[in-house]
Amino acid sequence: MKMKKIATIILAAVMAVAPAVNTFAAGENVLSVSTNAEVKTLVPWAASEENAFLVLNQAQEGLFRMDADNKPQPALCESYEVSDDKLTYTFHLRDGIQWSNGTPVTASDFVFSWLKQMSAEATNGYSFIMNDYIVNGYEYSDGTVEADEVGVKAVDDSTLEVQLTNPTPYFLNLTTMIMFFPVNEEFFNEQGDQFALTPDNMIFCGPYTITEYDPAVGVTFAANENYWDKDNVQIADAKVRVMKDATAALSAYQAGELSQVELDSVNVLANQDSPEFSRQIDFRTTYIQFNLTDPVMENANIRKAISLAIDRQTLTDKILADGSAPGFGLVADGMSGNADSSFRELNGDVSGFDAEQAKEYFDKGVEELGSAPSEVTLLVADDSVSKSVATYIQSELDKNLGLSMVIDTKTVQGRGELMDANDYQMGLTAWGADYDDAMTYLDLWTNGTPYRGNYSDDTYNGLISDAKSQTDDETRLNDMLEAEKKLVEEDAVVAPVYHRGSATLTKENVKNLITHPIGVPMEFKYASFE
Amino acid sequence: MIKYTLKRLVFILFTLWIVITCTFFLMKKLPGTPFDPEHFSIMSAQQQEKVLEMYGLNDPVPVQYAKYLKNILHGDFGTSYTYVNQKVTDVIGGRLGPSALIGIQAVLIGLAIGLVLGILAAWRHNSAIDYVTMIIAVLGVSVPNFVAAALLQYYLGLKWEIFPVGFWTSWACSILPSIALSFSPIAQVARFTRTEMLDVLDQDYIVTARAKGISQFKVLTRHAIRNSIIPVVTILGPIVVNLMTGSLAVENIYSIPGIGSLFVDCIKANDYPTIMGITIFYAAFYMLVVLIVDLAYSLIDPRIRLAKGKED
Repeated sequence: MKMKKIATIILAAVMAVAPAVNTFAAGENVLSVSTNAEVKTLVPWAASEENAFLVLNQAQEGLFRMDADNKPQPALCESYEVSDDKLTYTFHLRDGIQWSNGTPVTASDFVFSWLKQMSAEATNGYSFIMNDYIVNGYEYSDGTVEADEVGVKAVDDSTLEVQLTNPTPYFLNLTTMIMFFPVNEEFFNEQGDQFALTPDNMIFCGPYTITEYDPAVGVTFAANENYWDKDNVQIADAKVRVMKDATAALSAYQAGELSQVELDSVNVLANQDSPEFSRQIDFRTTYIQFNLTDPVMENANIRKAISLAIDRQTLTDKILADGSAPGFGLVADGMSGNADSSFRELNGDVSGFDAEQAKEYFDKGVEELGSAPSEVTLLVADDSVSKSVATYIQSELDKNLGLSMVIDTKTVQGRGELMDANDYQMGLTAWGADYDDAMTYLDLWTNGTPYRGNYSDDTYNGLISDAKSQTDDETRLNDMLEAEKKLVEEDAVVAPVYHRGSATLTKENVKNLITHPIGVPMEFKYASFE
Repeated sequence: MIKYTLKRLVFILFTLWIVITCTFFLMKKLPGTPFDPEHFSIMSAQQQEKVLEMYGLNDPVPVQYAKYLKNILHGDFGTSYTYVNQKVTDVIGGRLGPSALIGIQAVLIGLAIGLVLGILAAWRHNSAIDYVTMIIAVLGVSVPNFVAAALLQYYLGLKWEIFPVGFWTSWACSILPSIALSFSPIAQVARFTRTEMLDVLDQDYIVTARAKGISQFKVLTRHAIRNSIIPVVTILGPIVVNLMTGSLAVENIYSIPGIGSLFVDCIKANDYPTIMGITIFYAAFYMLVVLIVDLAYSLIDPRIRLAKGKED
């Protein structure tokens, strides 16, 4: 009898927790992609992770949306004008655009969210993406000017006027990013601190609405009935699912639960002949940052020697083998240059491999230093990719320079802290482009901080500031080409190692599922089933 | 009994306070800040200030500690840093269900199979069934649950399509992870039961029972099993806690929104309030389960007296 009672109690307990299972059911004709980290927040000025960008880009929209070639196409804005000095942009919104609750989308919705992003309330660290360009952005951030002095204004309900501090040829690209999406002030105020926590606390102006959201499970989308271009949205149901384990994601893909899956390097070789296979290069560069205040790394010849001693092609072909490309320059492959060629094509290789030349530089450096350094130390983060890259660099330096290198492994945050504190010799770090322009990289080395190796060079800073104020696109480009050469080839402040790539499998019936190497990672809007 | 329980509860509170204190100060020693260094460093001074102030990180650590203690006494466990604007209690609460469901199911499977195997093994001591059981037991403890999880996922999920490969969409999704987690309890329970059972079968009263001419089956069910099951309750406590507090590997493999992966995530992100919340929950849960096991023990086995000196 007693056993029966206990069994009943246990059964009741199981039944009590059973409803915790929620209803993210799979189905036919659902576009489903995975993300390897939780979607922790959907508050635009708090979200800093790619998976949040992925979700927000389907549910919201900005003035422009990127097309398959990563070029901005008019979205909520129908047309725009730029003044002759290229400092004033006037955007005209489409007629009749609405939020998912029927409220019209107006120019003040943009002003509201942009000001939030520029204000001290923004916690995602992306305020610079507006403050760098918009008049009085930093002053507003610091609280020294009022909102009405900031260079973003709603002239009327459908006209938005933006004042820039410098001519910015890629400003329209920026407006495709989630920080530039509108937020309705009235709705936001109604929700208070519940804003964006559940689908009921959100309204949408993008191709999809969010119907379910659980940070640890993912997001379910349904086509937005109030979207201006809803006739061109072909897939009605979509999902973003959190799958932290790459092998499990592949299993889910093979079981038909996912439309697309990213492969880890173990699975690239086995799948690269599949018709479902494709590779893409991210606009992200992993590089060695030399600390210029270090007694050894102060020497430019030593730095050049180290950079030249690394065979990057072998690294990406044999060690990483995940679709990554060798880092022959700081600016990633495929980033925009002029109308005909990419930046990388125009500037050629600025960080190549040449063992002989490396040895020459090394000997020269040793002579200048007086004695050969007994060892050098590379600070790396404790993820498996960084560690294997570091081990490879270690063997290359030993082989080509006879230089022994110690690998100092820290957590990502620990590494960041040590670099900020100027307590490192060489650090392996990476930068992902925020927008499709070389400036997203080159601007980083103008501030002379320890994290950027304490590099402070007048010529370099001159080139960057000239590029920033140029109204002529070609001169601007030439400034940047020269700046990259100086930073990487002449001064060897950094040694680019590789540009991260990814390999994916996509179900053959899925067409036009566009991915972008920067900003918003993916577009569901154009996708269709065959 | 009541006096004993109250005394234990006071001890639990005291232990919790020690756990909170140690965790709080150790946690502050974690490298890094709760904020992504690359993005935090480019925030304006005002923004950094505002963020730090919002989370009370401007105060010296002892002050933060005092404030934290005061808040939890009022039932306020704070707001998560990474899950923006979400209460820690809500974040943890949302993750408990899946972990608890899988955990309970794994314990039930483990108990059922483990007991049967253990009893059979002892009953047919040194026979084929005994050896098979012990091999299963050794495998169960030595094969890590993530290996079992991956194999089950591949065969039962992907190849034979019996169960979902992952996700958390229906009750069926909880079956494979429960089985994967049940191997270790099966092994533990089987081994323990077998040992206890062998011990009991050697006792004088079993010999007496046999001498009375009772059938082998009745000796087993009436006399042996009852007495050998009692010690199994002791190991049940830790097993339950272990399984219900989630498993990072199994949760990741099956994409289950459980508490195990939350714990690891929040430590990685230096999400202080969530780290504290989960630690307190784990500690309190563990101590309560141990208390319940102790209490249950005295109910099941009258030979055990919790409060000493009652007879005096």
